Amino acid sequence: MTPDKSSKPNALPPRWLDKLASKICAPHLREELIGDLQERYTLRLNRYGRQKAILFYVKEVIALLQFSILKRKPSPYPSLPLFSFEMIRNYIKIGSRVLLKNKGYTFIHLIGLSIGLWACMMVATVVIDSLSYDKQWSRSKDIYRIVSADKKGEGIVERMSSSHEGLAQELQKLYPEVQAWSMFSNPSRYFKLKGTDPEGIKTQLLRMDTTAWGMLDIKVLSGNPRHFVDGTNNIVLTKSYAAKFFPGQDLTGKIIYDIPSYQSKGNPYLITGIVDDLPYNSHLRADVIWVEQNKPEAYAAVGFYSYSQNYVMLKPGTDIASFTSRVNKWYSAVNKDKGAKQIEFQPMESIYLHSDFSDGQRVKGDARIIQIFSGTALLLLFIACVNFVNLSTARAFARLKEAGMRRILSGSRYQLIIQFLTETLILFALSVAAAATLYYLSLHSVEDFLGHRLVQTFTTNLSLAGYAVLTIFVTGLVTGLYPAWLISGFKPANTLRGIITTAVGQNTLRKSLVVLQFSISIVILLATIVVWKQLSLMENKNLGYDKNNLLSIGSVSWDGKADAFKTELLRIPGVVRASTSQWLPTQGGGYMTKEVPDPINAERRIQVWFIAGDVDLPATLGLKLVSGRMFSSSFSTDALNADSLQQADFAKYEQSSLMQASLMTATAAKLLGVKQLNEQIASTKTVPIGTIADFNNESLYEPVKPTLILAHRSPQYGGMLIRVQPGTERQVTASVQRLWKQFYPSKLLDINEVNDLLFKQYESEIKLQQLFIFFSGLTMFLSALGIFGLVVQAAEQRSKEVGIRKVLGASVAGIVALLSKDFLKLVMIAIVVASPLAWLSLTKWLEHYPFRTDINWWIFVVTGIGALAMTLLTISFQALRAALADPVKSLRNE
Amino acid sequence: MRRSDLGEFEEIVLLTVAATTPMAYSVAIAEELEKETGHAVSTGAVHAALQRLEQKGYLSSYLGEATQERGGRRKRLFTMTAYGGKILSDVRSVRNNLWSRIEPETLTKIGLDFS
Repeated sequence: MTPDKSSKPNALPPRWLDKLASKICAPHLREELIGDLQERYTLRLNRYGRQKAILFYVKEVIALLQFSILKRKPSPYPSLPLFSFEMIRNYIKIGSRVLLKNKGYTFIHLIGLSIGLWACMMVATVVIDSLSYDKQWSRSKDIYRIVSADKKGEGIVERMSSSHEGLAQELQKLYPEVQAWSMFSNPSRYFKLKGTDPEGIKTQLLRMDTTAWGMLDIKVLSGNPRHFVDGTNNIVLTKSYAAKFFPGQDLTGKIIYDIPSYQSKGNPYLITGIVDDLPYNSHLRADVIWVEQNKPEAYAAVGFYSYSQNYVMLKPGTDIASFTSRVNKWYSAVNKDKGAKQIEFQPMESIYLHSDFSDGQRVKGDARIIQIFSGTALLLLFIACVNFVNLSTARAFARLKEAGMRRILSGSRYQLIIQFLTETLILFALSVAAAATLYYLSLHSVEDFLGHRLVQTFTTNLSLAGYAVLTIFVTGLVTGLYPAWLISGFKPANTLRGIITTAVGQNTLRKSLVVLQFSISIVILLATIVVWKQLSLMENKNLGYDKNNLLSIGSVSWDGKADAFKTELLRIPGVVRASTSQWLPTQGGGYMTKEVPDPINAERRIQVWFIAGDVDLPATLGLKLVSGRMFSSSFSTDALNADSLQQADFAKYEQSSLMQASLMTATAAKLLGVKQLNEQIASTKTVPIGTIADFNNESLYEPVKPTLILAHRSPQYGGMLIRVQPGTERQVTASVQRLWKQFYPSKLLDINEVNDLLFKQYESEIKLQQLFIFFSGLTMFLSALGIFGLVVQAAEQRSKEVGIRKVLGASVAGIVALLSKDFLKLVMIAIVVASPLAWLSLTKWLEHYPFRTDINWWIFVVTGIGALAMTLLTISFQALRAALADPVKSLRNE
Repeated sequence: MRRSDLGEFEEIVLLTVAATTPMAYSVAIAEELEKETGHAVSTGAVHAALQRLEQKGYLSSYLGEATQERGGRRKRLFTMTAYGGKILSDVRSVRNNLWSRIEPETLTKIGLDFS
């Protein structure tokens, strides 16, 4: 091979190897050493050819790895420390100046971040508070609630928070692990604290057994409540309740009375002591403790028994899984049902959040809402951070010259990064201050919205606040790192000459972040629409009875005066019809249920619900007759005087109740296979006289239940339904209250409009809807804010291009389109991405409801058009301004 | 004389510097050594040896001209100092002494007869 240097002027080793060699070599040796390597490479290239030369070069680079070559010479100049006091002061000074100079951007950043942080703080509070429930009891880890779980076929388990009242006692006898047990319930009573108040003070009670003193840590302040006084109701007041109603009095030994629903006279309650307030964040929250000394009957698998909420306290360290399986083995052996009925032990700490099966529980949270709540808040914070990153990266252009100048004046890259991070942290600090103020101010509204107090908040728990600040600090660092890294990474020589390398122009990251951000907003917007549709469906659905202009009186004991009361009641102007009733809307599916064999499949059993009232009940409710006839007082078999018959002669009652007339709903008729009216149905022991259209006796969370309606005459117990003329609800309520005073001067009157009661059932949906409206508004606003910042940036950056285009004759509309096109494209992509996602998740959510709204195509169209319109609105102003600007101004400056 | 100061590789590099002066720099020395010994010699090793020799005061160096095949980089040229020359001659006289003391029979026995 003839060496011919001039013909191979590009005979250089591969660049990456060269770079590697430079990295290895200490800076002061680079000149000579890299030169040597390249010279030898050229020699070898001529001698052996390219491939071998490269191989040799690799070896040479490896051979560089020795101490004398690696060792860096200490810099002869004192390096500026990153964190001296002067530098920190400088970072902050420059940072605040930059923020003050770009007021618009600072403002956009601040608003976005404050809202994101505020939402997160709020939600974190709610989540932390929900998780704190029942954790404060010293034995909370060992206390379990007994949950009955009945298998109702394949995969269907019906759970109840109550169990046989003797079960807990029996378990203590059988298993040494059970240390103590108690029944707990949360009834409420209207106490007559002063002689004059007729309504009484509604008081939440915690009803517990004497054994519970050893399970819960309750601090006794005065009296000796642990000593049970026989022969009367023992109650213990909490400190704040006593101070509120009996300030400065010694109450121990006093007796107070309640206002009863059933008895004609108030029950006496002996105050046996004062205790410290019970924790608010407990599902046993109460103002007064009602102590009982229960001696439940021994457990028996058959026969009549009552149910109660039973709690057991196990020995610390008991393996609950094995304990449960052992108990269940015994339980199914006693019941002889091959495990159809099971017992579960629900840990005390999870009772608050995971008790959707427990209907009577007054204090409970909804894990689903908490999840949705926290998910949405995290997304909100994410959108806020995305805005921040997007805008800061877009702003990188404006800062490039500054960055270049700083580096030329011997600022290190790390100093630049810290400079930019300082700006980020100043912004975050300001946002935290704003968010904290907002948080403090809005805490009360949020408590109102939730319907309960928040115990663990950032204002009451300082260590919590510390964690929050730390988390926000880390979030700030992470958010600020990318823009800082990007801006500080450019070569100063290029940036000062105005050459901008592709990294900033190549904004795939920014674009995908905008798409992501808008997808999230669109999903939330779609969810809002669907939740709203579902709620309006539940509120407006025809229930099968007329729920308007209907009043209800809660269950009482009528003391034999039911008929007289009804007669007087019907005289009140405005009252159309009235009926006593053993079932009231929102109080379950009926007053009793029966399991009867399925006529189609003998192995299966179906459950039938019973509703009883007097003969006017169907007419009062406004049920629609399909076939047969309604109840009538002219048929003696229609209405039995059940209570008096039962008292007189039970056998005779049994006999006549077999032929009891009934009305069936269409579903009941179908399920029971009834084809002929007026013939006794053996399984339910009634004679159907008519079929009525289906109606939703329970909330719309439940499917329509097969229901039979019976009529009783002169019932002892029950409520009353009153049909009134439209618009007279108020007057009638007032008149009923007056009438009530005459009939039952010391009894509690619980009168409500059925519509209100029904509405309250959907509280969780209403909350969800409000939440979604709020969050979708916020996310949309933040997304719009982000895109606004970006369009301002784009208009600024392309001002010269716009100027040249205008000089060359572009129209204003054309330029607006030019600037808007990019963003509209992104939003459209977001719509395409978000719609199927939203459809999937919302369909899944709707599966919870037996009566669900459709997800129509128009929802997506409306949302899409809405998002596009909002984007257009946001950007058109800036785009117009850019398009209308005088091209002379943008072009002259050079 | 601090004989232990000079390693074997260093001694050879020092000798090569003397032999290639005035054009003694890493590449020339490495190439020369490769030619003489027949083994591949890496530039890094030579450079490290040269650095050490300069630290010990046997060599002095200055930066020379830039050439094209070095990518426009300058080379570091080495010259021997008087102290370096003395060390080399010391080493040589020690060797010569030892060589002259070997008996002719022994030389023949180990096959090193040069006569």
